[in-house]
Formats: sequence, structure tokens, C-alpha cells
Amino acid sequence: MNGQRTIGAEAVVIGGGIVGCASAYYLARRGVKVALIEKATIGGEASGRNGGGVRQQCRDRRERPFAIASVKLWEGLPAELGFDIEYVRGGNIRMATNDARMELLRREGAEELEDGLQVEMWDRDELRRRAPYLGEVFIGAKYCATDGAANPILVTKAFGWAAQRLGATILTRTEVVGISIEGARVASVTGRDKDGELVVEAPWVINAAGPWSAALSHAIGVEVPVEPARSVIAIVQRCAPLFREFISSHDLGVYARQAREGQVHVGGTNVPAHTFDQRAPADVLEHLARGAAEMIPALRGANFLRSWAGTLEMTPDKVPILGHVDGVKGYILATGFSGHGFCLGPIAGKLVSELVVDGAPSLSLHEFRLARFA
Amino acid sequence: MTEQVEIAVVGAGPGGLCAALAAAQTGAQVALIDNNRNPGGQYYRQTARGFRGEPSSHQREGAALLQQVIAAGARIIAETNVWGAFDDKVLALNDGAATTYLQARAIILATGAYDRPVAFPGWTLPGAMTAGAVQTLLKEQRILPGKRFLLAGMGPLQLVLAAELARAGAQVVAVLEGSRVFPRVLEHAGALWGQWARLSEGLSSWLTLARHRIPYRAGWGIVAAEGAKQVEQATIARLDENWRPIRGSEEKIACDTIALGYGFIPFNTLSRLLGAKQEWRPELGGEVPMRDAQMQTSASGVYAVGDCAGIGGAALARIEGQIAGIASAAQLGHGTADAIPARASALARERRFQQMYAALFTPGAGLYELSQDDTILCRCEEITQADVRRALALGADTTNEVKLITRGGMGDCQGRMCAHLIANFIARETGRSVAQVGILPPRPPIFPIPITALGVTR
Repeated sequence: MNGQRTIGAEAVVIGGGIVGCASAYYLARRGVKVALIEKATIGGEASGRNGGGVRQQCRDRRERPFAIASVKLWEGLPAELGFDIEYVRGGNIRMATNDARMELLRREGAEELEDGLQVEMWDRDELRRRAPYLGEVFIGAKYCATDGAANPILVTKAFGWAAQRLGATILTRTEVVGISIEGARVASVTGRDKDGELVVEAPWVINAAGPWSAALSHAIGVEVPVEPARSVIAIVQRCAPLFREFISSHDLGVYARQAREGQVHVGGTNVPAHTFDQRAPADVLEHLARGAAEMIPALRGANFLRSWAGTLEMTPDKVPILGHVDGVKGYILATGFSGHGFCLGPIAGKLVSELVVDGAPSLSLHEFRLARFA
Repeated sequence: MTEQVEIAVVGAGPGGLCAALAAAQTGAQVALIDNNRNPGGQYYRQTARGFRGEPSSHQREGAALLQQVIAAGARIIAETNVWGAFDDKVLALNDGAATTYLQARAIILATGAYDRPVAFPGWTLPGAMTAGAVQTLLKEQRILPGKRFLLAGMGPLQLVLAAELARAGAQVVAVLEGSRVFPRVLEHAGALWGQWARLSEGLSSWLTLARHRIPYRAGWGIVAAEGAKQVEQATIARLDENWRPIRGSEEKIACDTIALGYGFIPFNTLSRLLGAKQEWRPELGGEVPMRDAQMQTSASGVYAVGDCAGIGGAALARIEGQIAGIASAAQLGHGTADAIPARASALARERRFQQMYAALFTPGAGLYELSQDDTILCRCEEITQADVRRALALGADTTNEVKLITRGGMGDCQGRMCAHLIANFIARETGRSVAQVGILPPRPPIFPIPITALGVTR
């Protein structure tokens, strides 16, 4: 097709992950005419390739109020989005295999209670009683009952569908080729799909492109310090219901949750490799297999069925970049979630909508400003 | 730990055995990996130890070939899955107890094919199974999975299976051939020249069918299977040239087992994992790796032979195996490629036969239109055609997107059964080709591997 197509909007979101889709959804809900541009498919990257944990505990203190606020939003999502996203508040257990880890958890727990998050410390006996499926290796744990998990593939898509129902334009398989600035303000985003180029004109541009946000931002002279990182998940074939909590051990370097259909998803807590390569390496699969067998001995008879990898975007301090950018009016960064974007996605999207519509967000974004890295 | 080998051959059917033999005879160091206890693949499938019975001529031929391979110095690694392929030609092996890694300088893939699944009302009833499964039970353990067999499918292998079943004492109620083979085979008669072994086997099977008065119905196909707890009868119908049932021609036929032999799908997962470019060739069974004249794929040093590179049968696999064995060894400095041209005429003869086979026995579109909305397309996850339809209504337009929304393709079969059924349904609903709709990306482990075994490295 020849000729350039132009779409007029009030805000354009780049990236169809959970942060982008939630932004589009909350913007559309506030009556903003929004378009979302996604290079491939909705939820096709890290948003649909993560462990599915929706967790408030064990977070950086700067992030904690956001996680708590997000979980409040999560509660209403199944009804609001009109889709069964398999959200379950099954609790979150962070285990320890040694006293030093236990002490870290204890200190963190005290801080969490101070910040208004209810958590419990479990000693060995309590852990055996509450989570008898866990391996003998653990000496205790911290537990947060209001944490949970959801189906990561469906949540992001459900946000996209809901946004669409509210009038948002979702452009998939459309690669962003440039962001235009006029004066000191964003003016439009140019994308390319199979039919050629199209321009979305809007006074607000939200960059929620995760690992790809840095390159897009660099083109308009805004440096975003995020690095790609590969996160691998392996799937244990369907088995009888074993546990409902989201469980993790940084000592073993693994986390797991059992999906509603019975498959157990096993991921790694180690610092992942900095690469865009999405093939799962053999040594990582081995590590996940060993970790799963030690963490949940009942899985020893089960099979790994498949694996996949996704690309996270890591900031130097592992907390997000969210908010306006000095010098470029109308440009909002919602990126750098460092593997925490799934839980935080809904609140991030809501805050984006507040930045655009109200001018001021309901939670201070000071800690998440880009300038902290300057 | 990673072991080194010059040439790794994956799959010990006719193609793999011949590749390993040709390579080992040049002095190259060869490892031949197979997931069965007894090498041989489906064609040479050996009777399992402890089961009595006179070996067939195929079984004797396969056993002799294996002895030659061993005598030539190739190392046989049996009962071992190749569950992944990684950079620098590293294969991940697992024997159920531990993982080992094998790094090869050249890899010859001879992983064969699997039966093409066909979904129709009742196809998940006990008693409806693939022809390959029936044959495996028969060859390996001398088991007859039923008493009254209906064979529905296409191609000469059905005749062979019918004859084997009849000789084993089963009743074969009918053989349904989807293709209207008889007028059309004459157009291709030239391709039969030189196929004396095939013609002789065909004739012998034919005589067995006649002796047992087994009806052979060309231009007929399965429409549905019915039964309370298992197959009790089948609905069959005459097919038009696109393999669509002709209304009014339906008949009921009593049977307890339906063997579905609608051809094969190349098992190309390893060549995909190794980065070999693929092309969509419906007449060769579906997606296959592109190859040069020496059977090398676009991934340097990765060769593919036999059915995993396009359905062509055992004779073609043997020749392709020999060529890849010689070529890969020559590339590593063992022997020369001079012996390859001598295989050109045999290769051309088998390719002619392959073309004839494809012209006669590529199923028509109607084969994928038998399923109804309540028919299960993904049996592991129990996903029906209606579930897939709902995903399409939500905007999914590829097999992978449908998988993400419905779970169809996420189960124990790892997509081998369902991905093609779902892809064909999407293609038909969206008016695109299966190639455009895509099949599922390979996600290691490509076979289910016990986590205890995957976590142990030897």
C-alpha cells in the first residue's frame, strides 16, 4: 500500500506488554483517545513469559507501596477486565536454608510490617505444617497471605481486549521506527506494519517498550539505562494439586508456582544473562531441574515438558523508571521494571493515566525518576 | 561434561543407519543415537526381547545393517533421547537417568516422521489409533490391539498393514483409500520402473487382501467413529476429489479398532532448533529443512536425511543417508565425496517415486474439515474446535497465539498431535495457508524428560 496513514490520538503507548496495555486501559477508562503500538503480539514478550507471581513481600522499600497499591487493583481485575485471568491469592512463601537468610527475612519482615504489609515468619515446624510439600532443606520462611499469582499470558491480553472495548486502538505487528518532537514536546510516533508506514499523532507518548525502550528513547536523545536480561522458565507436566502458594528460595535460586491446570512453572532467581537471545540454555534448564527437585521432592517423578525464555529489562538499581522526562514534554517513561513489571503493571498503568489526565499521580514517582541515574 | 565426536547421527532408521555406516566406513568417528531399545526405526522395527516370532525380511535386513554399522566402528547410543540442540552443535542426550552432552563437528538428522493426526467426531475414543501405533505394537510386541480393524487412510502402507493384520489373525473389515488411486496411478506408471521390491511387496500384500477377502475401497474415507466407551462402529463415506465426504454416500461399518494411516509429518524439530531454514512443502508432508545436493541444511555441518526432510520412504532415506554420511565425513577430511555421483541414478529413481507418491497421496482439504465444534483438537489439554474458534474471535490469528489463549498445544504431546490440527483449522477459518498460520516453535526439552534425570549430568 502506498501513502502514509495518519491516526490522531491524545496519547500513544509504545509496547503491548502488561505496562503498556494497562496504561492504554486506564487511559481509555479516563476517556483519553489512546493508540497502542506493538511490534509483534500483545503479551508476547516478558509479560507473557514470566512466573506469574503477584507479590508484595520481599521488595525494595521504594517499590513496596506500589506493589501494595497494585495488589489492590489486582483484586478487581477479573471482574473489571471481564476475563478469567486465573488470579489466585494463594500466598507467597520465601524460604531460607540457612540462618543468615532467615535473619535477612526477619529484618525485611519487620520493615514490611512497619510499611503496612502483613507478613508472617515461619520457623521450621510452622513451615512443615503449612507447606508440607517443601523439601527438608528449608529451616524457615516468610509468608505473605495476600500475595498470589495469575496467568501471565491471559492478563496482558485481557488488558488489551478491555482497552479495545473502551475505544483504544491497538496496532499489533507494527514496529515503531521513530518518535517526533516539535518544539520541546512530543508530536507523533511513526510505525511500520506490513502495509507500510503509519503515523500516530499525539501530545503524549508513553514508552513502555521494556528492553526495547532504550533504543527508541536514544533516538530522541533520552538515555534510558536498561539492559536486556534473559529469564528462563521450565514447565513440569501436569500433576495433581500440590501447592497453591508462589514459592521461592534465593538459596536454591529457584521459584515455582502450580498453574490452575496442574503444570508447575519453575523459574530462576539468579541474575539472568544480559542478552536478547531467547533460547533456553541447557545449563539453566539443568539448574531449574535440580532446584525444582530439591524444593519440591514430590516432583522427582515428574517430567519437564518444555521451557521458554523472555527478555526482561534491568535498571542499575533494579527498580523501575516511571514518569516524565526532563526536557521532553509529553514523553513518559514506563520501563525498567527489572522483572517486577507483572505485579506492578496495573498500578504503573493507572499512574500513567493520572500523569496524563490529572497532571499529578496519586503516588509520588520521585524514587522512579530517570534523573536518579544522572 | 561434554563429549566430543566427529559425526553424530540422530535416529537409527534406514536413513540414520546408512548415514552412520557410510561415514564410519571412511574412518570417521561416528555416534548413532536412537531412542528405542533396538535400533531400526519404524521400518526395521525389531521384535522386543522376550517376544517370539519369526523375524520379517525387513527385520532381518535391519538387523544385518545394524551389524555392519557396528562392525564399521560406529558407537551405538540406544534408548537415548536427544532432547535439545544448542549452539556449536551440542546435542543434549538423556537416557532416563542422566543428561550427557555430545558435541559434534557434523550432525546428521534422521529423525523420521510421525503419523499425521486426523480429527473427526469420535477420534479420541479408545480404539481409534494411528496406523503407526498399530504397526509398532504388532512388530515390536506381537500385540493385536483389537479384533475387527478398519483401516482408513492413504497409500500403499495401508495394504502392508492390512496384510500384516490379516496374517496375525485379525479381521480387517475394510481398507479405505482416500485417493482415487486407480485411474491416476497410470499417469505415473513410469515412476514405478525399477521399484521391483515395492511392487513385489505390494503384490504380495494385495494377494493377502484377496485371500482374506478384505474389501479395498478407493475414494473412501472415515467421517466419524461411534461407541459408548470405545469404538463400536465407524461412519465412512465416498470422497470427492478434495476429500470431502459426498453427502448421501455415508455407510456404517462395525469395528472395534480404527487404524488411521493418513501419511506422515516430518519430525523436523531438531533441524529447527539447530537453525536450519525451513520451507513449506505440503507434498513432502509439511515443513521441511531446505537442503543442498549433499543433504546439508542451511546450518553449516547439519545434514538431514530421510522422512525428517520430506516423506519419501525407506529406500530414499537409505540413499540420502549414504550421501550425507560420505559428504559429512569428506568435509572432515575422511575419504572423498567422489562416491556420491554413483548414487545419482538411484536417488533420481527414488525421487521420481516420491513425486508419484506425493501426487497420489497428498490428502485433500476435506480431511481437515471432518471435525465439528465439539470435537477435541488438542487431546492433552482437552481443547475443542469451539475453544479455538473463540480464541480466533478474540483476535488470535496464528497457531502460537491460539496456544497462548487456549492452552491447545501445551500438553504432553508437545504439539505433535494437535499443532497441525489447530493450524489447519485456523488456516481454513482465516482463509490463509498453514505456512502463514505457522506451527509451534520448538521448546526444549523436545521430549518429556524426568526432572531428576535432567538435573543429573554424567
